[in-house]
Amino acid sequence: MTRMALEGLRVLDVTHVWAGPMCTRMLGDMGADVIKVESARRMDTGRGEANPRGGPGTLYPDGIPGERPWNRAAHVNERNRSKRDICLDLTHPRGVEAFKRLVEHCDVVVESFRSGVMARFGLGYRDLVKVKPDIIMVSLSSQGSTGPEAAYGSFGATLEQTAGLASVTGYLGGDPTTSGTFFPDPVVAVLSVGTILAAIRQRQQTGRGTFVDMSQREATTSFIGETIMDYTMNRRAQGPIGNRDRVFAPQGVYRCTGDDMWIAISIRSDEEWASLARVMGEPALEHDPRFTDVVARRTHHDQADAIISHWTATRDAFTVMQELQAAGVPAGVAEQGSHLLADPHLNARGFWETVTHPEAGTAPFLSRPFQFSKTPGTTRRHAPLLGEHTEEVLRDVAGMTDAEIAELAALGVTENDPRAVATAPD
Amino acid sequence: MAVMGADVIKVEPPGGDVARTQPPFLGDDPHPEKSGLYLYLNTNKRSITLDIRQAAAPAVLRRLYESADVVIEDSPPGWLAAHDLGYEALERTNPRAVMVSVTPFGQYGPYRDYQATDLVALALGGLLYISGEPTREPLKLGGHPSEYFAGLSAFSGALIALYHRDGTGEGQHVDVAQVEGIASAQGYSSLGHGYIHEDRKRMNAFAPMYRAKDGFVGAMFRQDNWADFCEMMGRPDLTTDPRFADQISRRDHMDELNAIVAPWMAEQPKEDVYHAGQAKRMPMGYICDPADMLASAQYQAHGYFTTLDHPVAGPLQYPGMPMRWGEDAWDLRRAPLLGEHNQEVYGGLLGYTPAELVLLRNTRVI
Repeated sequence: MTRMALEGLRVLDVTHVWAGPMCTRMLGDMGADVIKVESARRMDTGRGEANPRGGPGTLYPDGIPGERPWNRAAHVNERNRSKRDICLDLTHPRGVEAFKRLVEHCDVVVESFRSGVMARFGLGYRDLVKVKPDIIMVSLSSQGSTGPEAAYGSFGATLEQTAGLASVTGYLGGDPTTSGTFFPDPVVAVLSVGTILAAIRQRQQTGRGTFVDMSQREATTSFIGETIMDYTMNRRAQGPIGNRDRVFAPQGVYRCTGDDMWIAISIRSDEEWASLARVMGEPALEHDPRFTDVVARRTHHDQADAIISHWTATRDAFTVMQELQAAGVPAGVAEQGSHLLADPHLNARGFWETVTHPEAGTAPFLSRPFQFSKTPGTTRRHAPLLGEHTEEVLRDVAGMTDAEIAELAALGVTENDPRAVATAPD
Repeated sequence: MAVMGADVIKVEPPGGDVARTQPPFLGDDPHPEKSGLYLYLNTNKRSITLDIRQAAAPAVLRRLYESADVVIEDSPPGWLAAHDLGYEALERTNPRAVMVSVTPFGQYGPYRDYQATDLVALALGGLLYISGEPTREPLKLGGHPSEYFAGLSAFSGALIALYHRDGTGEGQHVDVAQVEGIASAQGYSSLGHGYIHEDRKRMNAFAPMYRAKDGFVGAMFRQDNWADFCEMMGRPDLTTDPRFADQISRRDHMDELNAIVAPWMAEQPKEDVYHAGQAKRMPMGYICDPADMLASAQYQAHGYFTTLDHPVAGPLQYPGMPMRWGEDAWDLRRAPLLGEHNQEVYGGLLGYTPAELVLLRNTRVI
């Protein structure tokens, strides 16, 4: 077995839901030893409710919550692969003490509580430095730990609003809106991987640890830098332009045959417009004065859209994509879940990783947005059951004796059945 | 990477990075030093020019390879290799170095040579389909999200590879595909199909959005926020209304609920609702445009926007780093002029004599 890229790196993971868990999952996939800390009282909320009442929200295999729903929730099982999991009640002094003994043997602590919660547990950066002077702590809070809105909470959808992304998202002429996912979460996840490793690199060179205080809102704003520059340069606030582009024309998403099938097409040059015209069987459009250059095509964008829509409406989306791509025109099917999982390109690249979980069965999961020629990443193990590795980690990492571990269990500090405890409020 | 302290040398063709030709431009003047996109993306870097298509150029770039820790490139797959500048050339020149290639579809696979824009990458990565209204066409997320996502993936990929290199001395090639970034970000489509064998449909925005007096408010609240929200609206009686008792009943009576919330919201300033809701621990949002963010006390407290002077574009406010780093302050520095550092990089770092530099310039290599 070849050495994995992040072998030797140990991460204590006190994150939940999406951004933090996805970040540490990628670290785990690349070889880091990631220890996820939860408690029966305060599970990762991605595990859903201990006694689900049905309705929307948590996704279970075939919709069945099963005996231990918290081990069957889809999102937690996707985002926590390649980790170990321990239960520690951090509201209990002995839980805090055990946490600190783990910190002594870790390089990084990543957390995503509301700002201030870790400090209230007695586990803020100042507390951790006393235990391990060169510890790196990374906080992934909504808006950082300082400033008047530090204690404010958010979801990915509200961050898209407050970070400005929603102000440029929406149908042409319509209201601003948010995406169909919590886009800021994966953004923060992928940014945090490199950020953690930059802090490690600094520690290697200086011997110093550090506290990195991420603002998820600002991380999202960084995605619309040019929009902000337009305002600071020209006092112009860009609004939504639907599926169009500020440079290319035409660009749009056009209906095809089949169930809710659509093709995205972008024309970046006169040559691509001529190619599109030829593929559509209307070569005369190349020299049509409405469309001869990008200025004309922008002016007559609606007419171009109507012509393209008329052509795509009776055609199969994948065939349109192949024909246009063969002619060098950017085109892509708006892929649905089933298309994504069957996508020949993603499959040829091994993007989907099929994982069998003891309580949730077998399912394909997304992998990583980077591939390495010599140290490939992989799902090293299925997402852990709640508290699956409590004893193993306390013994092998924290160096606790069997008696100490038994005492913690007797005190309820390491309880791993959420039905055995009352759930703590957020 | 540059703002974090790396010495980033940006190699541009003599005509400049394409970003220099892209809007927005200061005063709508399409000048290569006035592109807001370029100015934003290239802070803290040095710029040199090199025309890789010239016969003498690859040897010059390979000399830069000798001292590089990381080479990041985004040319079409195979193009650098055709100039003997691909990963094989880097490994031969400097086996400790890491190459990160950023392309729409990656270095291999059946769509490798497909053409893409941000929209096409969102489509094939599965994010486009699930965004927008169920009765309309799928809707693109604004801006260039797949490009930025690929940029962050390259950043993280480079740092992972450097960690490995620092431990073993072994460099490698990191392959970043824009479409895999989006496929990593969509989060719901693949999982929905994998777990319940259904395709997730477009279902409007996640957070119900209301028109406020001066903009839009995203009213997202959990069960334990409902009573506080009723209180905020001055309608404590709704707390006990069975139509709105829990998330499910509120969803079932969404139209009746909106008939009450919308007229109230229309009278409120957006930021008042946001702050009042957050004070009651409701994860509220409001739609911020750049002016709102520049005026935000939170962004100001972090010094998120920094004014940088630039010899051509003049003083402008720039978005900065999205994190604080211990006690260290970020040192944000303006983007370079085209070829601003040719002399110090070619002359200083590589040791070309003034006469050789003249020759490289005259033969249009730089």
